[in-house]
Amino acid sequence: MRGTSLFLLSVSVAVLAGNGPALAAWQPQKPIEFVATAGPGGGTDNLARAVQNIVTKHKLTEQPIVVVNKGGGSGAEGYVYGKASAGDPYKVIFGTSNAWQQPLVSKVAFNYTDLTPIAAMAQDEFLLWVKQDAPYKTAGDYLKAAASGSFKMGGAQSKDTDEVLTRMIEKVGHVKLTYIPFKSGAEAAVQLAGGHIDSHVNNPSESLGQWRGGTQRPLCVFSPKRLPEGPKITATEGWSDVPTCVEQGLDIKQYEQPRTVWLPGKVTPEQAAYYVDLMKKVQATPEWKDYIEKTSQVDTFLTGAEFDQFIKQDLEHVKQVATEQGWLVK
Amino acid sequence: MGNLAELLHGFTIAVTVPHLVLMAVGVLLGILVGVLPGLGAPNGVSLLLPLTFGMQPVSAIILLSSMYWGALFGGSVTSILFNIPGEPSSVATTFDGYPMARDGRPTTALATAFGSAAFGALIGVILITFLASWVAQVALAFGPPEYFAVYFLAFASFVGMGGAAPIKTVVALAIGFAIAAIGIDTVSGSVRLTMGIDELVKGVNFVVAVMGLFGIGELLVAVEEEFHARAVSSKIDWREVFRAVGRLPRHSVALLRSAAIGCWMGITPGGPTAASFMSYGIARRFSRRGRYFGTGEVEGIISPETADHAAGTSALLPMLSLGIPGSATAAVMMGGLMIWGLNPGPMLFVDQKDFVWGLIASMYVGNIVAVALVLLTVPVFAALMRIPFVVIAPLIVIICVVGAYSVSNSYLDVVMMLGFGIVGYLFKKLFYPLAPLVLAIVIGDKAEDAFRQSMLMSKGSLGIFFANKLVTCLVVAGIALLLLPLVLQLARPFRKSTSPAAETAAQEKVII
Amino acid sequence: MISRRALELATAILTGSFGVAVVVQSLDNGIGWSSEGVDAGTFPFLTGIIILAGSLYNLVRGIVPAATLASVPIAITSIELWRLAGLFVPAAIFVAVIPLLGMYMASAAYVFAVLAFPRHQSVPWSAATAVATALALYVVFERMFQVSLPHGALAAVLGF
Repeated sequence: MRGTSLFLLSVSVAVLAGNGPALAAWQPQKPIEFVATAGPGGGTDNLARAVQNIVTKHKLTEQPIVVVNKGGGSGAEGYVYGKASAGDPYKVIFGTSNAWQQPLVSKVAFNYTDLTPIAAMAQDEFLLWVKQDAPYKTAGDYLKAAASGSFKMGGAQSKDTDEVLTRMIEKVGHVKLTYIPFKSGAEAAVQLAGGHIDSHVNNPSESLGQWRGGTQRPLCVFSPKRLPEGPKITATEGWSDVPTCVEQGLDIKQYEQPRTVWLPGKVTPEQAAYYVDLMKKVQATPEWKDYIEKTSQVDTFLTGAEFDQFIKQDLEHVKQVATEQGWLVK
Repeated sequence: MGNLAELLHGFTIAVTVPHLVLMAVGVLLGILVGVLPGLGAPNGVSLLLPLTFGMQPVSAIILLSSMYWGALFGGSVTSILFNIPGEPSSVATTFDGYPMARDGRPTTALATAFGSAAFGALIGVILITFLASWVAQVALAFGPPEYFAVYFLAFASFVGMGGAAPIKTVVALAIGFAIAAIGIDTVSGSVRLTMGIDELVKGVNFVVAVMGLFGIGELLVAVEEEFHARAVSSKIDWREVFRAVGRLPRHSVALLRSAAIGCWMGITPGGPTAASFMSYGIARRFSRRGRYFGTGEVEGIISPETADHAAGTSALLPMLSLGIPGSATAAVMMGGLMIWGLNPGPMLFVDQKDFVWGLIASMYVGNIVAVALVLLTVPVFAALMRIPFVVIAPLIVIICVVGAYSVSNSYLDVVMMLGFGIVGYLFKKLFYPLAPLVLAIVIGDKAEDAFRQSMLMSKGSLGIFFANKLVTCLVVAGIALLLLPLVLQLARPFRKSTSPAAETAAQEKVII
Repeated sequence: MISRRALELATAILTGSFGVAVVVQSLDNGIGWSSEGVDAGTFPFLTGIIILAGSLYNLVRGIVPAATLASVPIAITSIELWRLAGLFVPAAIFVAVIPLLGMYMASAAYVFAVLAFPRHQSVPWSAATAVATALALYVVFERMFQVSLPHGALAAVLGF
């Protein structure tokens, strides 16, 4: 135990030393508030708390960090709060792609342009899940079955990532699905276990326990290649054994949800640079690797122009789906 | 009887000196956060979570769950003493607990509440111990139509009774539903009823509404009547604590009925809040002293408290076996489980036997430790009633302000809380019932979501509410409970409709 | 003093206007049935109508001088009104100055004011209670549970 912490300490010292000059620019002088745009226990909340733990453990800043949950209105509460705190560099907002997707489809009082983008830190994968005893073994079988009957697809929230993906499946697979929105992915997973819906498109961490417990199984992953090798989840299978959807004839190459970090608007470039740097340091720690592995996410780091580019692309894509579905707000 | 052997093994894990110390620490901290409105078990859990990472998972969960018990007990204290429920599930405790405390019997009220709460929790744990796998199966049978039916049943058992003018009850109920609808709607994703205030997108938090309606509202009623608590006996009376607990077995029917309602609502999606309201409503209807409810009846405290804790305890089971957190605290605890490398879900019971049975055994021991500690604190809390009103009143105002603010760090919430205070005062003064209003705020939007999800599933056919035995039974039971008062009234034609003056007098009794 | 009738009318108007606001707002979300099932505005619209209808009933019942209200003509006497104001007005001022003074200073000032000015307590005793209140809030919320209460514009100017 002591050996580990010594090791961690040396890592953090090395990281600190390597970035000496950048630190001189701006330093926080009072406690920092991490605003999670989700309720306690949700994916975004877990990210904010993981970052808080890492920063505190490695003493990456002298200032204490407090995590505040503002998950009301599918996260809109947190973003509106961020917008209202313009110019305050002591509020860091943790969210997902709904920072730019939500303003498209509902009348919320913010847009992602009201915030200062810091980084996209991790990408959550999506899988197509069905009940354990469902007759279909591949995504192709699923689509064939769905074409005949009236299938119910569950998901978290409405007009959000899960429903966008559902509409994409409909279009690519030439089927019609009834989308039932629930409060969270975990709720959808239980509804699937009870047989009240036919499928859902949860993230790996949302249905991990259910897969191990043999109530449901993934058909395919919406990713260009299979997920990285890891420990076996069930007796015989691990994440890397799940085929990609493209392999199985469901032609959606990639669908991922980035975990995003923002500052309020009107902060100085030095302040933004400080947090970009802080997040980079967080990402270099072994605890971060551990967090990524445990939650089965993909480690990425997009910032600056790359991040902007990513947002623009995703926005185009969602706009297209939203226009087809008639979701755009006037 | 494999479970019994597992449980005994669990006891050997839970009953060790370090674990007993952890339990005591957890319980005391829990009582503290439970008593302070605005702070709750989630605050305490997230405070302790980082400390637990170095511990064995079973020690960590014992610490956290003990804090959960402490907070559940502590939550009743402010409900009874100051009419400020810190959690939705302790609202129903105020109906008789607060009148009894004001009547000069705070010790009896608190001791009765804690005693029956412990009984409820115990029944809940016994249920978990012996019927774990069955319970998990039952929980899975609930889809959106069944959810709706459960909420409908909760409303039916509580509404449509009581002395208040029917139209005023309907108005209060509808206002509650409208408040619950404020914010983003789950089913359509659109923003509703924000009245042009951007911040309202987050919705109106229950705690904000209740602090105003109950806390500030009651304060205004009290000051107007130049309220002085009746002389509380000046010396701390330990004997009264034991006497109150000793009298509980006389109400064994109420205890058992409430525990049954609590367990049922805990494993079905109703949860502790619906359970306590429903249990109170049913007790008021079936108790021989039902018409005295609201004036400080012992059974009016026993029923909601027993059901609340039975439901709170049995609700931990879906968390462990299905991975759905039943409450904010459970959600934070679940986050903790994952950090410790445990995945809640059906396999937990197979993979992590020591952990699960250690936890279940600690529920027995933890609750006993909690009730012992909390009974010791009764005289201390009861002594708060002796502080002069002029001093306690501003402190209650501050507690409500801080509580409303700390829910989501929002100043708007504080202003709204004060507004709810005026509404609470007006409603009390004019005999609009507050209970249906609060119940609608808490479960109104859930009921609406469930109804609309069902309509999506059935493509608009109401037949889905009669599609299988389970949902049909629930709906029929709900309708029966709604119609029961009418039938009873018809059966007793001689009981003339109450005259308005008598109505007012009767309500006056209830509302004080 | 305020008569029972006036209070009934005022409350009915209050609930009624809330009902109107709910009805108007819910029309924005659409009412009825669409491809997304029951529209988001449907239930709020219905509850709004119920609130409105109920309020109108209560209003009419309040206006018509029925025997119902005769038994309690006066709801709030002037002495009671004075006592109510004595509690509510300082509380409202307290809430109003929080953005300026912050939670700690505002609550200390509030406790001091309501204890010392009506001479409920001696000045030193009031001051001690006030300071103890603010300190207790600080220790429990800011220190123990890391819940940040507002520090106020004044503190920001002074550089805290």
